[in-house]
Amino acid sequence: MVKKKGQMKIQQMSFLLIAVFIFFVLLGMIFVSYYIKNMKGKATELQEENAHLLVSKIANSPEFSCEMVYSSSEKTDCVDADKVMILKENIDKYSDFWGVKSIEIMKVYPIGANRECTNLTYPKCKSINLLNTSSSGYGVSNFVTLCRKEKYNGEIINKCELAKLIVRYEEIN
Amino acid sequence: MTKNKNKKVTMTKNKNKKGALEFSFSWIFAIIVGAFILFMAIFAIIKLIPLFNQGQDAETATAIGILLNPLESGFESATKSLIRTQVETRIYGDCIESTPSEYFGKQTIQISEKTYNKWSYTGMDIAIQNKYLFSEDYVEGKNFYIYSKSFDFPFKIADLLYLTSNSSSYCFIDAPERIKDEMKDSLNAPNVFFEVCPEESIRVCFSTGTNCDVVVRENQKSVRKNGEIVYYEGDALMYAAIFSSKKIYECQLTRLMKRAEQLSLIYKEKSDFLSQKVGCSSGITTNLILLRQGERNLESSSDLFSLVNEVEILEIKNSNEECRLW
Repeated sequence: MVKKKGQMKIQQMSFLLIAVFIFFVLLGMIFVSYYIKNMKGKATELQEENAHLLVSKIANSPEFSCEMVYSSSEKTDCVDADKVMILKENIDKYSDFWGVKSIEIMKVYPIGANRECTNLTYPKCKSINLLNTSSSGYGVSNFVTLCRKEKYNGEIINKCELAKLIVRYEEIN
Repeated sequence: MTKNKNKKVTMTKNKNKKGALEFSFSWIFAIIVGAFILFMAIFAIIKLIPLFNQGQDAETATAIGILLNPLESGFESATKSLIRTQVETRIYGDCIESTPSEYFGKQTIQISEKTYNKWSYTGMDIAIQNKYLFSEDYVEGKNFYIYSKSFDFPFKIADLLYLTSNSSSYCFIDAPERIKDEMKDSLNAPNVFFEVCPEESIRVCFSTGTNCDVVVRENQKSVRKNGEIVYYEGDALMYAAIFSSKKIYECQLTRLMKRAEQLSLIYKEKSDFLSQKVGCSSGITTNLILLRQGERNLESSSDLFSLVNEVEILEIKNSNEECRLW
């Protein structure tokens, strides 16, 4: 009888300890999952910040910038369309270079034919897609001048249009 | 009566013995299991805290990487940025050379923060492919000054970033006027001094000076630091050699040449494209091919001299062209 009572007490104690153990494990799991969620949120926030800062400066990077091709002094936020079309052909090596999902340059004014720029359609086209052709993901944009060389009445002229440079990033799930 | 008393005493003794046995066993059991749970909890915390710290350090490193974006220069030749941290911080900048999967190599940033007088473990690094940070193996402080200057060879290759902190100052002795003007006016560098050197500052001598930590020989285009010599072309690379260790300088130069090689290809193809499209015949295609070959074969800064001739020819030819390529 005494033996059984003792066993009962040990059992009670074991159950209590198991319950306490499970409680703390659950608490730990909730904390860790909250921490991971928080980290993912911060990672997405940082990606967004990166895209915002990048979009305002990428036009000045050597792969995009007009440099002194279209004027005697350097222009800011000016994209050389001819150079970007060459870059599009050699984009493989740049896949992770800017740390964003995709980069797109879309003509805003004057509105041209609504099609993607390829070797065949350029310059009578609307958008130049770099890195990734899908338009999924969050995008941040900046207005830029999109310039190219044209032949008009036998003369070589500089043609500049208004465009939007869109940088897309992905949300971290 | 006495018999009864004796019986009572015996019973109490027995009860005490039995109670003591029951009490102590369950308590021993509880203590053992409780201690196990406590041990597990403490073990988990000990394992998790560095992990959380690493997560925070990685977040700071990413934020620093992102904050370098505005240093991409526009029409200005050089810019400056200040990064402030809450606690004493070490920024470890490293450079990884080109691999087949990462053609342009990468810049890595690691952070270590001082908490309770101990530096946190730097486990996680953040990799950025489009940045070139020139620094010592690590830079320590609370205020970090990052200077940026465009590197043109002959077209713009990238903006070079020089990482310094408030805890280390540089003293330029007999520096040429253009360097003084750039450091004082364009960059307004608070930790770079001229002629009057603060104590414990790093002494950078241009041609003359005594007790020099760094010697810049403009005629040889070389920088001697810690008994090692590196070579440069242009002021952007000269600053890079002054502010960074030889290992980082040589590695970043190789990465820069990879980008230059790719840009040479883009300009060469642009030249062909313009020739077909608008009839702008370019006489610099051959020079671009030669430059590209030189950039591909560059192994160290001492090979830079072999490219200078082609760079100068390209600079002249491009500026005279009707259809400039850059």
